Amino acid sequence: MLRNWIMVALRTLLRHRLHAVLNLSGLAVGLSACLLILLFVRHETGYDRFFTDADRLYQVTLEWRVPGRKPERAAYSQMGFGPAFKNAHPEVQDFTRFTQGRSILSTGDRQFYEWTVTVDPNFLSMFDFRLIAGDAATALTDPSSIVMTEEMARKYFGDAPALGQVVTVDRKHALKVTAVLANLPPNTSLDFDLLLPQHSPVSAWMLEQEKHWGNSNGATFIRLKPGASVEALRAGMRDWVKRTVTPLQTPQGPIDLAELVYPDLRPLTDIHTHPLAGDITPGISQTELTTFTAVAFLILIIACINFMNLATARATQRAREVSVRKVVGASRAQLVAQFLGESVLMTVFALLLSLALVELALPAFSDFLGKELSLDVQQDPLLLPMLLGLVLLVGIGGGAYPAFLLSSFNPAYTMKSAGAGTTGGSGRLRTTLVVVQFAISIALMVATSVVYGQFIYAQHKNLGYNTDNTLIIGHFRDDGVREKTQTFIDMLRQDPGVVGIGLSGHIPGDAGENNTLIKRLTGGAPDDLLMRQDSVSPGFFEALGMQMVAGRSFDRDRAADLVQRPDWMTENRPPPEGTTELFLPAGVILNESAVKALGFEGPAAALGQQVKIMDGPVSYLLGTIIGVVADFHYRSVHEPIRPVMYISDETRHHAMAVRAKAGHLQAVVDKIDRVWAELVPDRPIQRSFFDVNIANQYQREQKTSQMFATFSALAIFISCLGLYGLASFTAERRTKEIGLRKVLGASVPDIVRLLVWQFSKPVLVANLIAWPVAWVCMDRWLSDFTYRIDLNPLLFMGAGLVALVIAWLTVGLHAARVARSRPITALRYE
Amino acid sequence: MLKLVDLVKAYRTEEVETTALNSVNIHVRDGEFVAIMGPSGCGKSSLLNIVGMLDTPTSGQYWFNGEEVSKYGERKLADIRKKNIGFIFQSFNLIDELTVFENVELALLYHDIPARERKERVKAALEKVNIGHRESHLPQQLSGGQQQRVAIARAVVAKPKMLLADEPTGNLDSANGDEVMRMLTDLNAEGTTIVMVTHSMPHAQYATRIINLFDGQVVAENLRAA
Repeated sequence: MLRNWIMVALRTLLRHRLHAVLNLSGLAVGLSACLLILLFVRHETGYDRFFTDADRLYQVTLEWRVPGRKPERAAYSQMGFGPAFKNAHPEVQDFTRFTQGRSILSTGDRQFYEWTVTVDPNFLSMFDFRLIAGDAATALTDPSSIVMTEEMARKYFGDAPALGQVVTVDRKHALKVTAVLANLPPNTSLDFDLLLPQHSPVSAWMLEQEKHWGNSNGATFIRLKPGASVEALRAGMRDWVKRTVTPLQTPQGPIDLAELVYPDLRPLTDIHTHPLAGDITPGISQTELTTFTAVAFLILIIACINFMNLATARATQRAREVSVRKVVGASRAQLVAQFLGESVLMTVFALLLSLALVELALPAFSDFLGKELSLDVQQDPLLLPMLLGLVLLVGIGGGAYPAFLLSSFNPAYTMKSAGAGTTGGSGRLRTTLVVVQFAISIALMVATSVVYGQFIYAQHKNLGYNTDNTLIIGHFRDDGVREKTQTFIDMLRQDPGVVGIGLSGHIPGDAGENNTLIKRLTGGAPDDLLMRQDSVSPGFFEALGMQMVAGRSFDRDRAADLVQRPDWMTENRPPPEGTTELFLPAGVILNESAVKALGFEGPAAALGQQVKIMDGPVSYLLGTIIGVVADFHYRSVHEPIRPVMYISDETRHHAMAVRAKAGHLQAVVDKIDRVWAELVPDRPIQRSFFDVNIANQYQREQKTSQMFATFSALAIFISCLGLYGLASFTAERRTKEIGLRKVLGASVPDIVRLLVWQFSKPVLVANLIAWPVAWVCMDRWLSDFTYRIDLNPLLFMGAGLVALVIAWLTVGLHAARVARSRPITALRYE
Repeated sequence: MLKLVDLVKAYRTEEVETTALNSVNIHVRDGEFVAIMGPSGCGKSSLLNIVGMLDTPTSGQYWFNGEEVSKYGERKLADIRKKNIGFIFQSFNLIDELTVFENVELALLYHDIPARERKERVKAALEKVNIGHRESHLPQQLSGGQQQRVAIARAVVAKPKMLLADEPTGNLDSANGDEVMRMLTDLNAEGTTIVMVTHSMPHAQYATRIINLFDGQVVAENLRAA
């Protein structure tokens, strides 16, 4: 029996090749798209599960509830949190901190800037990364040890064994390589190349930070003892913070940190899929995951609908077989089983085809995503059941209706003559399914355009500065560079290609920020306001093209503009005996948002006003507002612009921006490299292009948009395959009618119009369904953005029109062919 | 074998009700060869559909082998049909995708018969209708007469007690038609009850009894001298 079924199935496929090709290719493309997305989603949701204690590892998160700001939950915590928390909670087995830094690494003639990560010595026992050499238990116990990945070892030592070798860090600390790790697997949310122990001389400043509960420097991970309840621990965290954290002493009086900071724990395995500010590696949001999963299933639904439509449309051709089988004794259940089996078999073929397609597409797809996705049944034990599930879902989902329809034929009516038969199921149902398909396609088209539109808008939104022809150079606060900054500037200025130079603590595109308290001396709110503060040199705003909306920029010739610090401050010594309060005069520039936040009537009204800014344990800045700069974005335009105050304090200038005249960029780059090599021969230069830095912020978003667009296009393609098949069958079925119409005088265009109109109606109806759904969804999606595009009705109509045109093209070809045939052939056909 | 009592079949569309069979009473005994004749639209096919359990009557009784089956559901009818009735059609109704052998075998597939026995029986049936040499051909490769012989083989391979033939010679030339009729006669001689609908008087003459239908009613029954 099974043999007979399979044989009939195969021979039917061969006999109706067009049908088979349409069905198989539609299904295969649909399955491939679905598989690619599912592989991606599985990869994204499978982060960090390979650690032995993954289920007991948590990251400390802090939610900052600063008055006047949106609460922000972040992945970094204070250096003191881990030790204090473990001491107070017996259920915590151990903790490790994870703090990123940047150092110069040198061996012999090799010297580079590298990101280092400082961790507690038990780090490798909590996170059991694979070691190639060394001992995880002791690798980080010696303060002068350093652990590196295979890739780093190769970079510095080539093929020679790295274990036991010595590297110099920051030109003064000789550290011994105590372990080499295999390169990190792609599915971990941790990222590092070099590990230093917490008590390493390189990161001595960090332990000092344990006392400062106001600073969050890095991540803290804890490991619970087996069986400990994380819920109980989380519930008690708030009280523990209140008991433990002493108020921050400031000249204004104590600040109760416990009122600002709400700690929580995030499971290690959730880190990648529940991203927070300050994450070590970028995660993927739940919205994205849900969206992609939904797209995968929508594509699958479209492919299933094709399957159903083509199968029911062809029912006529199978009617005789059904009848004969019934007559010789097949029960309905047997027929249903046969047809379901046929569609499952079809799906298996499609799956095999799609596995090949996925194999072909996977390298490019992985490359595009920058991830390593693989279709390896051995590696992923869930893959096989997943594939099996997919086959059954599609085979039965797409085959159920045709199976029940076909098996319902009454042989008494289908056996009468050779050619004629039933209409093959309800034409209305088929139309409904086509409507659903096109509604999905149109909605996806609208969604893609909105996502893309928002992306382009974000990229082209006026950021508030000009990123062209600009270089960013780092490390001007490092010893050995700081002293030469002015010489460096002077030498660059001699180059006619350099049109602007400015220094700052943070350049847009950087992640870090400083916040401090500010208060108006007269008027304004009674309380101090916590506000972002940054320092820029005279000429910085001009170099990057930021606009002043009132007043003036910092002027190097006006001493009162610049913060002048006493030596004990610049040299990091304690204040002289008896100093309790120190006021330093400073020029202050506000951005427009800060003007509003401080309650000034407008930019002009703020000029000349005085503010008191908290500066250090005993010092204040007595600021005079000299100008207002137009708001600009530090981070992605998706984040709102916050109030910022600017001072000019050269002790805080870390990065330099150099703008070149158009066409002189390369010459300026060469010049900078030469000058750096001359002034600071013992240190590598670290420079980047401003526009690239800014564009990098949108890379992920760009990929998401492109991926979305690709899969939408696939969805539309599959819908069209289905429509094409359906049109060809309808045309075939209506040959007699068309022949008669021609005999009665219809012209070719008349007939084409007739057929095209028949298939336009479902597409038009699909628009009516797709538009409101897409509108609501996309409006909600856009509402997450501070700066967003508006939904344009033209976009919706455009998507509808595109769908209609595609449908016309698909159907029109058929219609024209059928309409052109001589009526007599059509009439003889039946 | 079968007894129809006051059998009525009415078809309803939204507006019109058409009576295809109007109070038909027919009794067919085991081993009979009955031909049903009548003009187009007289209800022959409706009658054959009901007798073949492909359709159910609107009212009246249908006794088959002592069982009243007119109220039975599809599943039960299918079961009785499978065990007792073979069909032959005017348009042969062979499945294009299957070879001659497979077409005949199909009638045994739903009977839980082991493969080897199936093979033997199919071969025997094909030999009986003289088509054994073409068992691996597809239906399109055969002439009409050959196709109908395959159809007969398929109808009898499961050894039904009754054979229903719906104008079995309607699509055949006279030589092939006669050949088919001879085969039916032989089958009848071996004990199979046959009910045949036909337009052809000469072919009806092969039967032991002719029933004339007109406008859904039995108008005459002639018992042919055996």
